[in-house]
Amino acid sequence: MELKITNLSKTYSNGVQALKNVNLTISSGMFGLLGPNGAGKSSLMRTIATLQEPDEGSITFDNLNVLTQKEEVRKILGYLPQEFGVYPKISAEVLLDHLAVLKGVNNKKERKELVKALLHKTNLYDARKKNLGGYSGGMKQRFGIAQALLSNPKLIIVDEPTAGLDPAERNRFHNLLSELGENTVVILSTHIVEDVKELCTNMAIINKGQVLLEGNPLKAIDEIAGKVWRKTIEKTELEAYRAQYNVITEKMIAGKPLIHVYSDLQPDSSFQGVEADLEDVYFSYIFGNTSKELA
Amino acid sequence: MWYEIFKFELQYRKKRPATYIYFLILFLLSFGAMSSDVVQIGGGSGLVKENAPTTIATMMIILSAAMMMITSAVMGVAVLRDFEHHTESLMFTNPIGKGDYLFGRFLGSYLVALIIYLGVPIGFMMGEFMPWRDVDKLLPFNFWNYIQPYLLFIVPNVFFSGALFFAVGSLSRKMIVVYIQWVILFVCYEVGLTLAEDIEKQDLAALFDPFAISTADIVTQYWTVAEQNSQLVPFEGIILYNRILWVILGIAALVGVYFGFSFNVVRKGLFRKKKIKEEASTVNQIEIPVPKVSLQYSIGTNLQQLFSQTKFYLFSLLKDIPFLGIVICGMLILFVNSMYMGETFGTYTYPTTYLVLQQIQGFNLFFIIIVVFYSGELIWKERDVKINLIYDAMPIPDFINLVSKFLAMVFCYVAIIFALILSGVIIQTVKDYYNYELGLYFSRTFSSTLPFLVVFTLLAFFVQVMVNHKFIGHAIMIAFFITTIVLSNLGIEHGLIQFNSGSLGSYSDMNGYGHFPTAYSWFKLYWIGFTLILFVIAVVFSVRGSESILKTRWKIGKLRLSRPLLTLGIFCFITFSLSGCYIYYNTNVLNEYSNSDEREERQANYEKTLKKYKYLVQPKIVDVNLKVDLYPKERDYVAEGYYLITNKSDEPIPEVHIQLNGDKQYKVEELVFESGSTITETFDDFDYYIHKLNTPLNPGDTIKLSFKQTFTTTGFVESGSNTSVVYNGTFINNSNLPSFGYNESYELSQDNDRKDYDLPPKERAKPRDDKRELVNGFLGDDGDLIDFEIVIGTDTGQIAIAPGYLQEDWKEKGRHYYHYKMDKPMFNFFSVLSADYEVMRDTWKPEIDSLGGPVNLEIYYHKGHTYNLDRMMHAMKTSFDYFSKNFSPYQHKQMRILEFPRYASFAQSFANTVPFSEAIGFMLDIDDEDDVDIAYYVTAHELAHQWWGHQIMPANVQGSAVLSESLSQYSALMVMKQTYSEEKIEQFLKEELERYLKGRTRETKREMPLATVEEQSYIHYGKGAVNFYALQDYIGEDSLNIALSRFMKDWNMFDGQPKQGRFPTTADLYKYIREVTPDSMQYVVTDLLEDIILFENKAEKAEYVATSDNSYQVQLTVSAKKLEADSIGVESPVELNDWIEIGVYGQTDAGKDTLLYLQKHLMDTEQQTFTIEVDEKPVKAGIDPIHKLIDRNPKDNTKTVTEKESI
Repeated sequence: MELKITNLSKTYSNGVQALKNVNLTISSGMFGLLGPNGAGKSSLMRTIATLQEPDEGSITFDNLNVLTQKEEVRKILGYLPQEFGVYPKISAEVLLDHLAVLKGVNNKKERKELVKALLHKTNLYDARKKNLGGYSGGMKQRFGIAQALLSNPKLIIVDEPTAGLDPAERNRFHNLLSELGENTVVILSTHIVEDVKELCTNMAIINKGQVLLEGNPLKAIDEIAGKVWRKTIEKTELEAYRAQYNVITEKMIAGKPLIHVYSDLQPDSSFQGVEADLEDVYFSYIFGNTSKELA
Repeated sequence: MWYEIFKFELQYRKKRPATYIYFLILFLLSFGAMSSDVVQIGGGSGLVKENAPTTIATMMIILSAAMMMITSAVMGVAVLRDFEHHTESLMFTNPIGKGDYLFGRFLGSYLVALIIYLGVPIGFMMGEFMPWRDVDKLLPFNFWNYIQPYLLFIVPNVFFSGALFFAVGSLSRKMIVVYIQWVILFVCYEVGLTLAEDIEKQDLAALFDPFAISTADIVTQYWTVAEQNSQLVPFEGIILYNRILWVILGIAALVGVYFGFSFNVVRKGLFRKKKIKEEASTVNQIEIPVPKVSLQYSIGTNLQQLFSQTKFYLFSLLKDIPFLGIVICGMLILFVNSMYMGETFGTYTYPTTYLVLQQIQGFNLFFIIIVVFYSGELIWKERDVKINLIYDAMPIPDFINLVSKFLAMVFCYVAIIFALILSGVIIQTVKDYYNYELGLYFSRTFSSTLPFLVVFTLLAFFVQVMVNHKFIGHAIMIAFFITTIVLSNLGIEHGLIQFNSGSLGSYSDMNGYGHFPTAYSWFKLYWIGFTLILFVIAVVFSVRGSESILKTRWKIGKLRLSRPLLTLGIFCFITFSLSGCYIYYNTNVLNEYSNSDEREERQANYEKTLKKYKYLVQPKIVDVNLKVDLYPKERDYVAEGYYLITNKSDEPIPEVHIQLNGDKQYKVEELVFESGSTITETFDDFDYYIHKLNTPLNPGDTIKLSFKQTFTTTGFVESGSNTSVVYNGTFINNSNLPSFGYNESYELSQDNDRKDYDLPPKERAKPRDDKRELVNGFLGDDGDLIDFEIVIGTDTGQIAIAPGYLQEDWKEKGRHYYHYKMDKPMFNFFSVLSADYEVMRDTWKPEIDSLGGPVNLEIYYHKGHTYNLDRMMHAMKTSFDYFSKNFSPYQHKQMRILEFPRYASFAQSFANTVPFSEAIGFMLDIDDEDDVDIAYYVTAHELAHQWWGHQIMPANVQGSAVLSESLSQYSALMVMKQTYSEEKIEQFLKEELERYLKGRTRETKREMPLATVEEQSYIHYGKGAVNFYALQDYIGEDSLNIALSRFMKDWNMFDGQPKQGRFPTTADLYKYIREVTPDSMQYVVTDLLEDIILFENKAEKAEYVATSDNSYQVQLTVSAKKLEADSIGVESPVELNDWIEIGVYGQTDAGKDTLLYLQKHLMDTEQQTFTIEVDEKPVKAGIDPIHKLIDRNPKDNTKTVTEKESI
């Protein structure tokens, strides 16, 4: 099972180029699509979910041409959009059942079982009779994943599912996602590094419509191991450091900036080596000048 | 602080393009209305100028009400937009007071709305100055005429409706609820309008119309042309109260919003929230494995998806509060309107199913609102709550989305239709009518209403999908409706182009749906085919996913053109084009089609080319002998026979001009003069042929003219199909047969149209001394008296009737033949009817033999229509009694009333034969307690025509209708008096006075006195009834009848030739009337019959003292003014020296008014006081209390009598 994206490009009518010649090969398992807001993640996700047309390029899922055999793709697709609403005056159970019909679960008994199981799985069973208008953000998001899991999808696309969730909800959500079958292609887009770190076996970093990195998160960390250095500095020095070094992150610790710098060698002794993590990888690609060196 | 908010509001609106767009819309509409005929908003008519103050006021009021959408858009969003843009949290956390916020926002928006509405007067004023304006139709420019109605109507209207929209928008925080307000306001207006139809309830209606449309209408309802052209709608009386009432209600709405509005972003619900159980904590999470389910993608699945989606949308519609609001409002109007359903002269028709269905059609407006708004709502349903991406990624075929939405709309219509039918049945039950024709209910609604809605819904879906913007979609739909109206005004009126054309016509008990369904079905098929193509296109282009650019949608759409969809599209296209071809073949090839402009042009050319022949001497028909073969099932007939024509002039006639019927369904196959002729000139365009006789027809000579004319129905016509030859209830008359010479009735009648073709204004009638017309009777110049014989063949099962006596009838080859022959000459005016009749028979015998022999009375009626047969029969007998005694003996030995289908609603008097429409008389539900017996009255009126019209033939000059119609009105009133009380007659005359007073305000040329009336039905019927009734009251019924019988004796036609070589006029009649009138009353004859006189009678003061137990002294001060009006209604006072009735009313135990005193007194000063002794306690007193004189404000004629304070 393999999703293959080839030379995908898309420019919106307002001139924004959302995707630039994207090439990705995604096989079964959890795939993380990491990128800042506006990187083109959602555009890519929508395109894979048959909801948007690229200007150029192709997408295939096994033998299916995603761009033309939309109907077939939708039959094996589970999709959770980045932002979605619900009918406020309908209960979760009713809407889920209705959506199950649309998914093609036409046996009433099976449908009932399915809905019940999914509501349990997403821990919404107790609130199943409640109108969706009264759901909290996390509950709504869980409802979203419940509907994406109707009909045992082979391709699951979840677009920024954890944005705006509190840590507890996020954990609950991660648990949900991690249970998704082995034989499924799951694409998770996020701007939160933790999500990818915790869940994904493969990942890609995308920014300004371009894929900056594709690969295994651990491998990516290995690649920069020993090349990230940190230093606590004064606020006034920040400009100077930025000019001099390849600063990839700036954080405030106790009111003072803590910077991480990417460099093959220790810049000077005031810098301490850091055990690089995925965040460093991410920021080194987003803000650093490392992409070329690594490509 | 409020001032800052106010200023901000103005600044904000200044930058909004919408502000300018709204202004532009109003400006253009107003400009168009004033400067062109394409846009019409209740403008002035006839002699009322296009910029007359009342016209401007009316147009402004209508615009301010009709353009409520703009008010709601401006005012509704004033607060609402904070919620829509989610800026409420930012706004409400600022340190501003609630009052400041609301007041500032309201005032700012209101000012903006007023500025926007300035587009109306500015548009009008600009329109007035356009160089192409017709100066004749305009008054000199007067700035105040525009400003006064703006201040008086628009400013308060916008205030009230604006306050309401503002309040509702702020409190509900939903735009759709704001829109619903229109519907509610519209209901208020409709209810007012319905009430206004009842003269008694006009004040109430005037008060409760939120926009003062009916108010202004009622105040100006009796304004003459001159007054409409010179006076502003006054800011006093009921208008003042109306304005105050609604401004106060507006303020109340604002106070309401102040107290109801909350700065809290999250509101407490309107109802108590149900207690929500705390979400169970996460601990007890049960692991249930997600079962494997079988996914099937078959047709069955698709059907199930379709069903599930349809159900989902349908319930979301049916549960929608605004939707229910619209439906309930529509039902409300239905019930209110049904109160006055089928009203004629204060009497109501039985609530038959077809009448109730007509009321139900009034719901169509609400249906249109639902189509426009809810098509948008459903198309945007997912996107509005942003669940669209989830839905779009579902594995459902593309068409299911739109189809299920469409089906939901259709089922929703069906649900409403069921509710409407139920309402109809309830209305009938409430009115004690239990003949529910459910078959008719269902067939009509499902064959007419539903397809109408389906077509519009398909269009609305298409528009919504293509423009992909909900509000622009709504706007385009509304613009579309306006455009269709404009297009039809521009002459684009063929049903193949007029969207959703096709009409099922009137339903008649006699003829059922008749021949209408065929053409109707083809037109509907055509439009459904067309809109289904649009629907297929909509499926292809519908947005799925996040692409909204048309080009990309097409790219995706191409993938959707699956074989079934393509097949459907092609199938629809074939249906559309083949039905179109078939319709075109029927309407334009088999039949002749012309639009109204072409018809007008032909009429104009007819007049220009042939008018020169108008007074050409032609022979007169003296004998008609016909065989008419009717084929009702085919809607054909063949008329074959001959005229005997005589040269009654004193010069030879070398050429006979034959005018044939212009309708291509008629064909003259044969037309042969006995002596032979050659056609020397042909005017094919006008079906006019000049035959040169081989030997000229010398004075006194008679020859035979034989002809055969066929009437053939093939296929169907575009519109205006023939309703006189029908399956059951054929009614044709001689005007369709070949006639002689120029026919004036073909001329263009509207002066506006005539002007376009450089024709002089139409002359309605010649003066009374016009030598050439005095020798023509008002029924035409083809013949005077004729001998008449006819054989009519029709289907077995139908009875055919024509004037004359039945000689024999026989059946032959499945057909039934009737042979009628008239025993004495009658006027050249006859009809042929055929239907499946029941017959009621009776005989009238005169009291004394000298009044003639017995008369056979027959009523031919449709089975079941028996409600008023006895009344009609009774009326016939009483009429014969009265007329034969007071005027002259009846000339025939039989009288027949014949019902005909309700395609027309009149009764008409032919010699001993009266066709009487199904729509009047037969189906009246007469309550003798409250109603006037119109069945009785109309019968008496038509019978009176056997004297006035058939014994007396008026000359074709001014005043002719007095001799036929006014005298018949008088005669019928006298017959009415034989059976009914004075109060009933008063009740009837009130309606006739209303007809006169309203009619004169719409006069298009000049108001004439009775003596010289020219085709003005409000005068010869309305004023005729009122004034002749007054005349007999003043000079005595007996005296007037003596005058009439003398007139009858000297001028009746039954000796053959017209007396004194000509026909009579009002001048002749009046001589006889003056003869029997004492000198002191001569002035009354002048006032009533020769001038236009109006009174302003008023009771000023009425008091009484009880002089003993049963003796009361009433002191009554009354005033009277006598005015003479000229032809456009300019009034000037004339000297008062008139006998006017003074009356005092008491009250019976049952609470009814009863006259204690009624006497004519000489009023020779404007104000006079009378002291009257009565022997019962007086209640009311006044001048002319029973309204015998024409008075525009009859309500103040009487006054409640109060007890005088003892000093």
